[in-house]
Amino acid sequence: MSGILISVVIINILIVVILSLGGVPVLVWLERRVAGFIQDRSGPNRCNIAGFRLGGLIQSFADMLKLVFKEDLLPSHVKNKFYFSLAPTIVLFSSILTFSIIPFADNLIINGKSYSLQVLPMSLGIIWFLAISGLSVYGIILAGWSSDNKYSLLGGLRASASTISYEPIMALSVIVMLIIYGTIDLNDIVIKQSALLFGFIPAWGIILQPIAAITFIVAAFAETNRTPFDLAEGESEIVGGFHTEYGAMKFGLFFVGEYVAMSASSAVIVALFFGGYNLPWLSTDAIKSNISIISYVIIFLLPLFSYFFIKWMYKNNKWKKENDARNKESKILAKGIIGFNVVLIALLLYFNLLLKTPNVISVLTALLQFGSFVIKLFMMNLVYIWVRWTLPRFRYDQLQTLCWKYLLPLSIANVFVTAVAVVWISA
Amino acid sequence: MKNIKTKIIPRNGNSIKEKLYLPAIFGGMKVTFSHFMKNLKDTDNLRVVWYPEEKPKDITSRYRGVHRLTHRDDGSIRCVACFMCATACPSECIFIKAVERTDGVDEKMPKRFDIDLLECVFCGECVEACPCDAIRMDTGIFSFIGKKREDFILTKDKLLKNERSKDFDD
Repeated sequence: MSGILISVVIINILIVVILSLGGVPVLVWLERRVAGFIQDRSGPNRCNIAGFRLGGLIQSFADMLKLVFKEDLLPSHVKNKFYFSLAPTIVLFSSILTFSIIPFADNLIINGKSYSLQVLPMSLGIIWFLAISGLSVYGIILAGWSSDNKYSLLGGLRASASTISYEPIMALSVIVMLIIYGTIDLNDIVIKQSALLFGFIPAWGIILQPIAAITFIVAAFAETNRTPFDLAEGESEIVGGFHTEYGAMKFGLFFVGEYVAMSASSAVIVALFFGGYNLPWLSTDAIKSNISIISYVIIFLLPLFSYFFIKWMYKNNKWKKENDARNKESKILAKGIIGFNVVLIALLLYFNLLLKTPNVISVLTALLQFGSFVIKLFMMNLVYIWVRWTLPRFRYDQLQTLCWKYLLPLSIANVFVTAVAVVWISA
Repeated sequence: MKNIKTKIIPRNGNSIKEKLYLPAIFGGMKVTFSHFMKNLKDTDNLRVVWYPEEKPKDITSRYRGVHRLTHRDDGSIRCVACFMCATACPSECIFIKAVERTDGVDEKMPKRFDIDLLECVFCGECVEACPCDAIRMDTGIFSFIGKKREDFILTKDKLLKNERSKDFDD
């Protein structure tokens, strides 16, 4: 165990915790603001710390803080208090475990040694995702059963039925991708997607297999119990569904677990179908050999984007009342962005002119790929949110019809056709 | 019966495009995305009133706000303590104590006239019931704030001090 290995492992764990748990307030904020904008209203925009609103992000932290400090009540009619308390932890635990097989960047090569940027660098890869994401349904069904409440039980039943029905669709879509890529290791899958198709199209999963991509994304929506498949919490029919009896941080764990699961399945969708951490058209070797061009492009583009962002911020981040602390926020944030620009450009120039060792190049490549992964991840999360505020909920029989009558035959046919095509081409 | 003209309305949802379901989903997503981008570009497009900073402008003269007691031409109270409003009140929030009126204008007047706004449901039955046009709800006050329960009991003096909202055109 060298020092570099330990630090890489610690950084990996930190990244997973920040992206999964730390990402939840951001996702909640994104959800509420996007919902507001889609419905021509504002969303949270008042809560502030000394005038800093960060576009309303502070509100999510305030909400989280409230949930943490609330009294942890246990309803007196609950008979199985152990299972009642266990259920939310299973949901959160399985969501975080799903997240930990995602590769954030290509293997880091330092002093000729390769370090994997996955928390669980296991060859199980996508199989682990299928196994663990199915586990979260135990938490939901246990919560529904141990609540001793008919609405909770119905909610738990519905959630488990939809999750279990869509599991085969998900597995069959994954099988199609495995036939094409020939490996179950997620990092290898992502590396295979850095190739180019016909010399100019990035060979991402969605271009190779659009049908598998659609079925997988639909199944992922059902798996995470998000709209249009969120029958587990049909407010009009079964109150809050499986978490009706939960309050305080027990409910908070369900809430966090739901968003982490959404983020994790977004990450898997990105890794399988949207090229993972790859920058479009640039494989790891291409980044490493063109690192100075890429860094000069960043030095050129970063101030440009910052300029437009600051302009947008001055226009939209104002407060109606004068002499309010919230009016000073834009100026301070603009200074912060300019300072960040200066520091980053100085670092990149220093690297380009003086410090071009292979170690630094591979660290910079990993950072670039990590940035590209995070952007793709949040884009996919945005699609989840966008769909949620567009589509109404499915009826229960429609959900099952869609699954068993349409998607299942489609994915089975897709497996056969893909297998024949792959054998044909390779023969 | 054979000559009755019938119009056959085409049933939707049977074409392949509609059965695929995805084109409709993308159509809906296009609509929501256009709203999102419009509001993201310029938050002035949001159709909201920034309430505490910006007051609502759509309160009409028929809006039922906090009550007031009206005056006669000579400035004295118009109410004759007939208890019609207290009888009509569904939430029983009006408390009246009548006394004999000695200034020769009328025979009776309220000594106490209290409205408990925490009980009141702002239905306007008292205004409808009043035979003398003595109680009205045209103050235009839509937000009433107090720190104690006692603050919400409007006494006769407070009700007489309330005036018709200046925003209403007469």
